[in-house]
Amino acid sequence: MTPPRVEKAKQGTGSVDAARDQILRSIRENLARSARDAVTHAPSDHAPPKPRVPSPEPLDAVERFTSQLEAVGAHWTLVRGEVEAARALRRILSDAGAKRVAGSDAPLVARVLPGRLTGLSRDELFTCDAGVTTAQWGIAETGTLVLESARERSRLASLVPPIHIALLSTNRICASLGDALARVDVTSHAITLITGPSRTSDIELTLVVGVHGPQTVHVLLLEEE
Amino acid sequence: MTFDGGVRAALGDVQLRGALRQATTLFGDRRRTALVSIPDWEATRERARAIKDETLLHLDRYLEQFTANAERAGAQVHWARDGGDACELIGRIAEQHGARTVVKSKSMATEEIHLNAALARRGIEPIETDLGEYIIQLAGETPSHIVVPAIHKTKAQIAALFADKLGIEPSDDAAALTAAARRALRRRFAEADVGISGVNFAVAETGTILILENEGNARLTTSLPRTHIALMGIEKVIPQFADLEVFLQLLPRSGTGQVLTAYQSLLTGVKRRPEDEGPEELHIVLLDNGRSRMLAAPVTRQSLACIRCGACLNACPVYRQIGGHAYGSVYPGPIGAILTPQLIGIERSAHLPYASSLCGACRDVCPVKIDIPAVLLHLRAQVIEQHAGKSRRLERVAFRCYTAVMARPRLYEWTMRVARALHIMPPLRAWTKWRDLRPLAPRSFREEWRAGLSKAGPSLARVPRARSG
Repeated sequence: MTPPRVEKAKQGTGSVDAARDQILRSIRENLARSARDAVTHAPSDHAPPKPRVPSPEPLDAVERFTSQLEAVGAHWTLVRGEVEAARALRRILSDAGAKRVAGSDAPLVARVLPGRLTGLSRDELFTCDAGVTTAQWGIAETGTLVLESARERSRLASLVPPIHIALLSTNRICASLGDALARVDVTSHAITLITGPSRTSDIELTLVVGVHGPQTVHVLLLEEE
Repeated sequence: MTFDGGVRAALGDVQLRGALRQATTLFGDRRRTALVSIPDWEATRERARAIKDETLLHLDRYLEQFTANAERAGAQVHWARDGGDACELIGRIAEQHGARTVVKSKSMATEEIHLNAALARRGIEPIETDLGEYIIQLAGETPSHIVVPAIHKTKAQIAALFADKLGIEPSDDAAALTAAARRALRRRFAEADVGISGVNFAVAETGTILILENEGNARLTTSLPRTHIALMGIEKVIPQFADLEVFLQLLPRSGTGQVLTAYQSLLTGVKRRPEDEGPEELHIVLLDNGRSRMLAAPVTRQSLACIRCGACLNACPVYRQIGGHAYGSVYPGPIGAILTPQLIGIERSAHLPYASSLCGACRDVCPVKIDIPAVLLHLRAQVIEQHAGKSRRLERVAFRCYTAVMARPRLYEWTMRVARALHIMPPLRAWTKWRDLRPLAPRSFREEWRAGLSKAGPSLARVPRARSG
């Protein structure tokens, strides 16, 4: 488990390196000091991590996922095929009165919403009424969406507008958080986990949704035709 | 203000105590409910602690591995021995990017090093964007809880504050106040060139940093500005990506009783292509500031396992009454009482190890099983050994007298007789100020015994019942 010592990177100014060396030396010296009395005080220090508790496999991942979405205050619609998805999306947007809609660069988003706006500047994005992205994974246990930057430019469209609509294929729903972490594309420079709308209880513990991020999260669950 | 003064002020503040009771009870209840959704809570705690122990025992190697992987992904890693180093590094990076304002998401580490004051001295305006932090920044105050920083302020106070500082109509609607803060902060996000955040976990295996939140301000802070600076204590590193599962199960449940907070941002380096979203530069500042010293013994080392959930605050019978400000330290509550003396030196915080009844409620709720009472006792011993507290001369004299009296039966009897005759109570003013001592019986057990108790059997009726009060 313990990694090998890493070759010291030559970088930065002398004083930066000095700080690094000093901190690492301090860590090693203090650890060496503790090694002498570690035997009596901390027998568990070297105990290997316990084996993972297997997460119970849900009978129906979609059902579990949607009930968790509701529990965290997100909306969902189950659709079959892209034509139905496009129709549902248009209805959600018109019900919300959303006119300016930012879209990610995912091909699926382009197909179901040809009129979306892409490549917006920061200021333009702030004036959008809704953002449409896909999600790469769902987590049934928690009602969570997983968005990977390596797959799609969805960081801002899922965050800045007051409504976020996410398209998710039902066969991308993982049972548990652990399953999702094992599957995500770690080459992404940003992986975002989203569980329900943005929320705060900072004023007298009163729950308010939509503080900095979207007030409404709507998941369009896409079943294969 | 002294600790005693702070405590008295807090205890006299009816509004504060009501708010504390409501918040700590709510979070405590939610936490208990949330634990049920984990198949084996105890095993998960054990595993989390084992991961932390393993990391801390090889902290140098994990930090080097993390640094190498983060740099490979395009991040720039800096090392700060203390708060001064860290403020200097962060201030210089912000200056190099010509920043007049920086947006910040909530970070206790930046509070620890007093970063806002350091940035202000350079003419850079730091803007807190977490709603609670924003409120207390507008009010010129400090956080009173590590999860809900403005827990001590009422809606009416916040409404008056926003009316004054943001020029909005006063409102008693939390949603309207929140919307006003959103509007004001959106303008700040739109113009900021540098975003500063903390870090909840850093994965050595991948060079990833993870930030948890509910509001979305950390996502904005780490994706809109062109430069992102993340400050993390060196103890935040964990070995593997898969270890995140354990900590993501523990932290939200322990902190707010949520199964998961609304957002987790897992950031690995910077964007790969120019057309990608996100900052062009990611600077990660590794902060020691007294932490490496804690590695020297297992009892102190466990303090570094803390994941800053705040569960011990909500469970602590002392914190629940006095709140965060009375402690007079950046980190309040039981965890603050063990972290602060180790970070800033026991001579400057000798009161903190005593700000506890040692009941152990903090240890019971801690998701990484830190034995906080054991560390408190260790620190109390240090206070005595280093004479860091108030002068202990009187205490030493008293104990010497006590030893002399208790070792000599005749002297003991004589002393007690005199004490009873003169109704002398031991000089324990600090104790008796808030508690009543029972009066001494007119005759001691020894006298009763000699007077025939041994033959007649117990005749306790002759001993007057002690009255309380």
